[in-house]
Amino acid sequence: MALIERYQKTTDIGYWEGQIPMSYIYTVGRAGEKFFREIIAGKLLGAKCDTCKIIYVPPRTYCEKCFARLEDSYVEVGTKGTVHTFTQCYETFDGMKKETPSIVAVIRIDGTNGGLVHWLGEVDFEKVSIGMPVEAAFKPKKDREGSILDIKYFKPVK
Amino acid sequence: MEITEKMVASTATKLSAEEILEGKVLSVKWEPKLKYAWDNGPAIGRYLAELKNGKIIAKKCDKCHRIMIPPRMFCELCWVPTGEWVYVKDTGIVNTWIVGYVDWKAKRLDIKGGVRPITPGIIEIDGATKGMGILHHLGEVDPWKIHRGMKVKAVWKPPEERTGSITDIKYFKPIK
Repeated sequence: MALIERYQKTTDIGYWEGQIPMSYIYTVGRAGEKFFREIIAGKLLGAKCDTCKIIYVPPRTYCEKCFARLEDSYVEVGTKGTVHTFTQCYETFDGMKKETPSIVAVIRIDGTNGGLVHWLGEVDFEKVSIGMPVEAAFKPKKDREGSILDIKYFKPVK
Repeated sequence: MEITEKMVASTATKLSAEEILEGKVLSVKWEPKLKYAWDNGPAIGRYLAELKNGKIIAKKCDKCHRIMIPPRMFCELCWVPTGEWVYVKDTGIVNTWIVGYVDWKAKRLDIKGGVRPITPGIIEIDGATKGMGILHHLGEVDPWKIHRGMKVKAVWKPPEERTGSITDIKYFKPIK
């Protein structure tokens, strides 16, 4: 009977290879547009809600608590912050081993209620601690293209 | 409806494809690599191997006596494992077909420029049970002369070019 037919050699097993073509373009949106244009200039932007006393980083178009329009109340928030939480990564996005592990952290920007996920650089993993003051290390101005990667990493404040 | 339109008008920013592609607005582009390998299994594995030899093979169900093409290890009607392998002919009749103006990637074919529309069809293979067929191209025929029940025969690639793929048959062409 058919179900007891067995392959004797693994090389007899055939397979069919393919690749599903897929690509996407994600526009950064109204708030993102302003945020990333400012990053080219080496600045970080937040959205301030005067009623709720909240400064969102990255900026939002409206306040998540009171739904007030925030698009006219964007403020510069500086490039310094503190480490809120951190970890070390040994693998890349597709699960490959990294040659040198990277440190990923949530950085709470000073004076705001928001934060950014980014790498930490110029520091040993053993030296990183929660609450450690850090600042953004930007790429050279000519290499910036309006992306979160225009910041190379956050480094400890000297 | 009216409310929705008002809301969209007050909050949304309309963007054209050019504005995005020319980088007038910032965007993130990504192309995930979605690779796969699909296991042929014993039935399709043998089917493809036989195509390389220039033969079409089917499988028979011992219970309902259907000769099934493409072959499968399990009869989906009787719920039992299928039985013996049966060679079938490389001729058949057109069961259904379409005249297509777009290619497999949904790209419009240049019909006015002289490109022939694609004409994939289901071909009921001679020797298999009526209604059992495979999907393939129809060729050497005016797309608008194809008709249901038209007798066709496989046009094979030369043996040295065959790879054990359904494309080892180039297409099916009409026969008298």
